[in-house]
Amino acid sequence: MKSDTPANLLEMLAYMISLQIEDNSVVYVGTGLPMVAAILARKSHAPHITIVYESGGQDPIPGDMPWSVGCPLTWRKSAVLMEMAYSFGQSYNGYVDIAFLGFAQVDMYGNVNTHHIGDSLLAPKARLTGSGGNNDLSSLTENMVLVGLQTPERFPERVDFITSVGHLTGGSSRQEAGLLGKGPVAVMSQWGIYDFEPVSKRMRVKSLTPGIPFDIAQQTTGFELLKPEEDIPESPMIPEDILNLLRTEVDPRGVFTTMPS
Amino acid sequence: MGTFNYNEEALKNLEIEDTSILDSLVDFEAARTTHLKKQRSKTDKRVSLQEAIAEYVHDGDVLSDAGFAYVRTPHQAYFEMMRQGKKDLQAIGAPNTNQSYMINYGTVAYSHNSYIGAEMRGTDRNYGRQLKEGKVKILSEWSHGGVALGLKAAQLGAPGLFSKQMLGSDIIKYNPYVRVMQNPLKNESDPVLFIPAIYPDVAVIHAQVADKYGNAFIYGPVVNDAALAAAAKRLIITAEEIVPEDALRQGNGKKGIVIPFIYADAVVELPFGAVPGNMPGYYYWSRQWWEKTLRYASPKEENFIEHINEWVMNTKDQFEFVEKLGGAKWIAESRRQTKAAENDNEDVDFSYQEYQVDNDPGIYY
Repeated sequence: MKSDTPANLLEMLAYMISLQIEDNSVVYVGTGLPMVAAILARKSHAPHITIVYESGGQDPIPGDMPWSVGCPLTWRKSAVLMEMAYSFGQSYNGYVDIAFLGFAQVDMYGNVNTHHIGDSLLAPKARLTGSGGNNDLSSLTENMVLVGLQTPERFPERVDFITSVGHLTGGSSRQEAGLLGKGPVAVMSQWGIYDFEPVSKRMRVKSLTPGIPFDIAQQTTGFELLKPEEDIPESPMIPEDILNLLRTEVDPRGVFTTMPS
Repeated sequence: MGTFNYNEEALKNLEIEDTSILDSLVDFEAARTTHLKKQRSKTDKRVSLQEAIAEYVHDGDVLSDAGFAYVRTPHQAYFEMMRQGKKDLQAIGAPNTNQSYMINYGTVAYSHNSYIGAEMRGTDRNYGRQLKEGKVKILSEWSHGGVALGLKAAQLGAPGLFSKQMLGSDIIKYNPYVRVMQNPLKNESDPVLFIPAIYPDVAVIHAQVADKYGNAFIYGPVVNDAALAAAAKRLIITAEEIVPEDALRQGNGKKGIVIPFIYADAVVELPFGAVPGNMPGYYYWSRQWWEKTLRYASPKEENFIEHINEWVMNTKDQFEFVEKLGGAKWIAESRRQTKAAENDNEDVDFSYQEYQVDNDPGIYY
């Protein structure tokens, strides 16, 4: 149980992610911060959302933090427990509004890499997980939000492997490739929230974490970040009552919101 | 069987010269012929795990994973394959995640990848190392949904399905089986991905209960197992408990699905068959075992071999494995944990100390 310490970066990020969720929407989450954010959203500004999990469960009876995307806590007493193919089919058929995806690398068009670091899939510098459901959700869901840590290696100009298509090569290339949905609408890191310039589809700063100047964000990015025409606003700070909710009801053990030591 | 028209760019990227290794996965005719020959009458198909693996898993088979990584996944059957020295298997699944320990011992030599690893436990550095040392060859890359559709097509009785998944990604540049095509119904450009029906050579599906004929009841996430049961050329059912046929007619008191007995080649009564994973209704994960495996063992070859030798190669069966985890005390606590997680009991405290090398817990909750 945490004391009255100020919000840490993970708690701030969880709050900012939760703000991406509109009430009355269907939200797809994996474990980790997006799940914390969805539960927080439902307990605060978005009480009518339906949360969909990779196990196939929807709207389970809330409980402790799941240990895995397949944990019973993601499907406990769920009225529906869909097989994998049908679960993604739901996204295709327009029944899922937003999905949150992680990345090992993300490029200026929001393309995501979770396959490998290095030039070659067969002889990589480091082999990572591969797609999992990342590509499926990315290809089918109406809105995607990408969440991850920002470093120059993780925000390269071009990803080493396109696991999931964001805006591909910009412009209308995503649609021309045959994919559904709007693609990534936001990228969220410890430094700020990014969106994509509507015509070029290049990553653009939307707001910065309080206390973080634009230069820090640019220095930890491997390509030129676009700036909006107006002044860059600060990302909203987590209000005290929401922070309290997060710490006492949503993730009281700090499973996903404790900073690694 | 005929011959198959694989994607040339993918073959080149994957450095596959002899494509015959790819054929069995999509050989519908072999699947149909094998299925036509299966026992139709209700006979007692019960055998030991040893017998089932010896008879139905053949060197070089395409083995599909089942369950969901480590939820209702037949780890104990995989361990038996390793003990019996099965060789050169091709691992496929959605995910295809826990087979990296099978690679070190030569049991698995090829992988059709969709997801490798154990989530927050950490990257599977063992897989990366086996890949680097040439102990495993990648035969195809997929998304979860791509594999799911391939299996579902087989179950639906379709030669394949069209999808919007994987389009534009680099995944399809490493998949010989799928093909980008124009949707024949649309006048405007509308790319779709043809995903063929896939037929793994063998699968083991672990169910909560089954009868001696092979009717198998699954409770909790089905994931791809309903489709896999229909698609697999050979199917071994393992179950926590064997029950009378009548129990399956009554629905066992829980929501779930039943796999028809005519699909099963063998039935094995295998309590703790999904240990050290989660088995809905029966036991929670041994979380610390997975952490030890991914964080302590996986990063270094000699640690990994020592660890797997201790837990798999030098362990006779699932009962010895459970004794090592903590025996009856572990069974009672993990049963309580999963029932609480499923909302079938009052909530428990899920707090625990994550595995640390210098503080081995003794009982692996």
